[in-house]
Amino acid sequence: MAGSNEIKVNESKKVVPLNTWILISNFKLAYNMLRRPDGTFNRDLAEFLDRKVPPNTVPVDGVFSFDVVDRSTSLLNRIYRPSPSPETAADPQFGIIDLQNPLSTTEIVPVIIFFHGGSFAHSSANSAIYDTFCRRLVSICKAVVVSVNYRRSPENCYPSAYDDGWAALKWVHSRPWLRSGKDSKVFVYLAGDSSGGNIAHHVAHRAAESGVEVLGNILLHPMFGGQDRTESEKKLDGKYFVTIQDRDWYWRAYLPKGEDRDHPACNPFGPRGISLKGLTFPKSLVVVAGLDLVQDWQLAYVEGLKNAGQEVKLLFLKQATIGFYFLPNNDHFYSLMEEINSFVNPNC
Amino acid sequence: MGPYDSSTSSSAISSSPSSSTSSSSSSSSCAGKSPDQIDGLLAGAGYRVRSSELRHVAQRLEHLETVMVNAPSQISHLGNDVVHHNPSDLGTWVDSLLSDLNPPEYSDLRYDDFGPILDPSTITRAWTEHLIPEQQRIIPQHLSVATEMEEDSSIRLVHVLMTCAECVQGGEFSLACSLIDEMQHLLTRVNVGCGIGKVAGYFVDALSRRLFTPQGVALVGSTIENEILYNHFYEASPYLKFAHFTANQAILEGFDGHDCVHVIDFNLMHGLQWPALIQALALRPGGPPVLRLTGIGPPSPDGRDSLREIGVRLTELARSVNVRFAFQGVTASRLEDVKPLMLQVDPKEAVAINSIMQLHRLLVSDPTRTSPINNVLDWIRNLNPKIMTVVEQEVDHNQPEFLARFTEALYYYSTMFDSLETCSAQFEKAFAEMYIQKEICNVVCCEGSVRVERHEPLAKWRARLNGAGFKPLHLGSNSFKQASMLLTLFSAEGYCVEENDGCLTLGWHSRPLIAASAWKAVSEPNPSLGLISHPNNVL
Repeated sequence: MAGSNEIKVNESKKVVPLNTWILISNFKLAYNMLRRPDGTFNRDLAEFLDRKVPPNTVPVDGVFSFDVVDRSTSLLNRIYRPSPSPETAADPQFGIIDLQNPLSTTEIVPVIIFFHGGSFAHSSANSAIYDTFCRRLVSICKAVVVSVNYRRSPENCYPSAYDDGWAALKWVHSRPWLRSGKDSKVFVYLAGDSSGGNIAHHVAHRAAESGVEVLGNILLHPMFGGQDRTESEKKLDGKYFVTIQDRDWYWRAYLPKGEDRDHPACNPFGPRGISLKGLTFPKSLVVVAGLDLVQDWQLAYVEGLKNAGQEVKLLFLKQATIGFYFLPNNDHFYSLMEEINSFVNPNC
Repeated sequence: MGPYDSSTSSSAISSSPSSSTSSSSSSSSCAGKSPDQIDGLLAGAGYRVRSSELRHVAQRLEHLETVMVNAPSQISHLGNDVVHHNPSDLGTWVDSLLSDLNPPEYSDLRYDDFGPILDPSTITRAWTEHLIPEQQRIIPQHLSVATEMEEDSSIRLVHVLMTCAECVQGGEFSLACSLIDEMQHLLTRVNVGCGIGKVAGYFVDALSRRLFTPQGVALVGSTIENEILYNHFYEASPYLKFAHFTANQAILEGFDGHDCVHVIDFNLMHGLQWPALIQALALRPGGPPVLRLTGIGPPSPDGRDSLREIGVRLTELARSVNVRFAFQGVTASRLEDVKPLMLQVDPKEAVAINSIMQLHRLLVSDPTRTSPINNVLDWIRNLNPKIMTVVEQEVDHNQPEFLARFTEALYYYSTMFDSLETCSAQFEKAFAEMYIQKEICNVVCCEGSVRVERHEPLAKWRARLNGAGFKPLHLGSNSFKQASMLLTLFSAEGYCVEENDGCLTLGWHSRPLIAASAWKAVSEPNPSLGLISHPNNVL
């Protein structure tokens, strides 16, 4: 078959465990069915196919969850908290959510605001893969995770996702029951994978400009791009689950009509980017998967932060593909979790 | 509109059953320890896939991708027109999409990329040059166009299959595994919707199962599942109908002149064979005999008495045509568990034993016991039946050497799949293929007492039955005519009935696939078996 259509199934199968391959291939094929060539999206089928889970106030493996709606924006957030251990809790009350007392008056408990991935169009805060991921984050980092159910494209394009992220940040800061530490404030980190990483950046930018505190950004193969075709895009097109064609589709669906990929939402350090020099921008942990075709844009992002004098740490996982963190069956997953843990618990 | 709804639809949250406990402990390792277990990590992502089926599901996903890449127009069809079932059950979801799609239209392939299109006769010749001389007929006759690439890959696929089987026989498992990977890659380069691609897919799957599933875990379905697949196989192809027709004709002739007759069916299933016999007996000149039918079958789940239910239906039918009829069901998991006393044979009645693809199950040889076949043939002979009708698959799947069995199975089932291509009802065909797939898996994956599909050809059965005290009855020209007429009802050309020294075979393009024969006991029955019948019960 002609070049770009050739199926390189064997390549991707060699680098990921079989169940991971099945999971991500399944998404790839299902997503192919959902994107229509005319730019519309089969939302009904997407919602039907998406595996979703309800919240659970009964702790499972030490983590419980509940959903809260911000009535001013109708934005839903799913909160994940570690359950108090039986020894420390005076009266372990399962099923009853404490929305009054702070998380702790002595210890600092990081609150990670998490923006799920899906290229701005797919998934929700209650998608099984993200629910599971957030639970693991809580267990490993002993943090509270707030997963934001932001509005998705193509029905809601730029800047909806950023506005929702900003609203979530303000909401989290104003919850007394998310405070901790002797100073009794909310210790906020922003995190996200793919489009969620992109959202985290832009929300942090707005926060920096508005004087709202964000202690750190965790960007897991964040979704960035540009008009140019980089080496990594050309070399890895179609080889590891992702194609340039689908990336283009998602940008067209998210960016305002008529815009190209050098729009600052997509390319924050590109020709139309805004400088971050002098801003109190949070420190960043940027994780790049070596088999992700978008990596050149992600590496350019890291350079951009450095050039603006901002603190950034790059975790480059050479043999990782996108979605490596969905199943804890590979080394990259554990490296990632270790890094995130030290990032949000710097004093431990 | 709830907070989780999208802004354009009002779909409610559907929680996937496997994740309702929101658990996915990070302590579960990637592949389940026991192959029957659901993969714990995929369960945490909302998908139910058995560890033993991971490879199979991966293969199906690749297949789906092939189809989608080859025929982009199908993608929107999948998104808009197809009914999607339970996405959590990944295997079924992918399979339902695949079965909905027709095999890729050749017009979607880009011919100019492939080189000269070969004409069918060239393909036929090219194929046969590579094959063992006796086995000339694998090529699907309806395959009108193939590409060079596909042909090369198809040939290569067969070669790799054989090599892999050889590795399996020789215990070289890691080599076998890498060959499986290669075959799965090759499968993306051939048309897996029909022909050698489809058959190869099943055999690659069977080899995978043999390698990755511990022995004894056969592809065993529930009794109900098996019955459903059997029924579809019955509908989709003439094999079972031929078996029933031919046996009934022989039984009818065998019962000529007898007023009390008793048919013992070794595997009742839904009793599809018997309405025709009951009606034929009703129309017998001189009036119908009193008919007893004993149906043997496995115990049914849920405490249902399915044998009795079928008996009731047959009784009603018999009553409607004024045939005096009595039914009894005998429940047994295995044929060898049946004791002749359970059959309650009356000395005055004429007995017919009917075995449609059951005798080979008795050939199971186990180090702990001798083959049950001789015991069973003994008590059958002692019942002194007027006639015993035997229908069996015409192939040797009971050779001790794995490679020999595998090779036989590959050619046999290729021919059978080929014949099934003519079935126009997609649904029936798909289920019929699943029926055959189970047989393939048993022949290829299982050993010892679990391998029950121990088919032997007519020549071997003749020797065995002659040695056990039976003599052959010639199936008359009536049977032959009936069988030929049956085939004209199937529009497909290619099926052929042949007479083989008093027996009839049905096959596809001169390869016999199923053989029917009739027998009666020769020697005096053995009085020491303690049956109610008088030893000299000869009418």
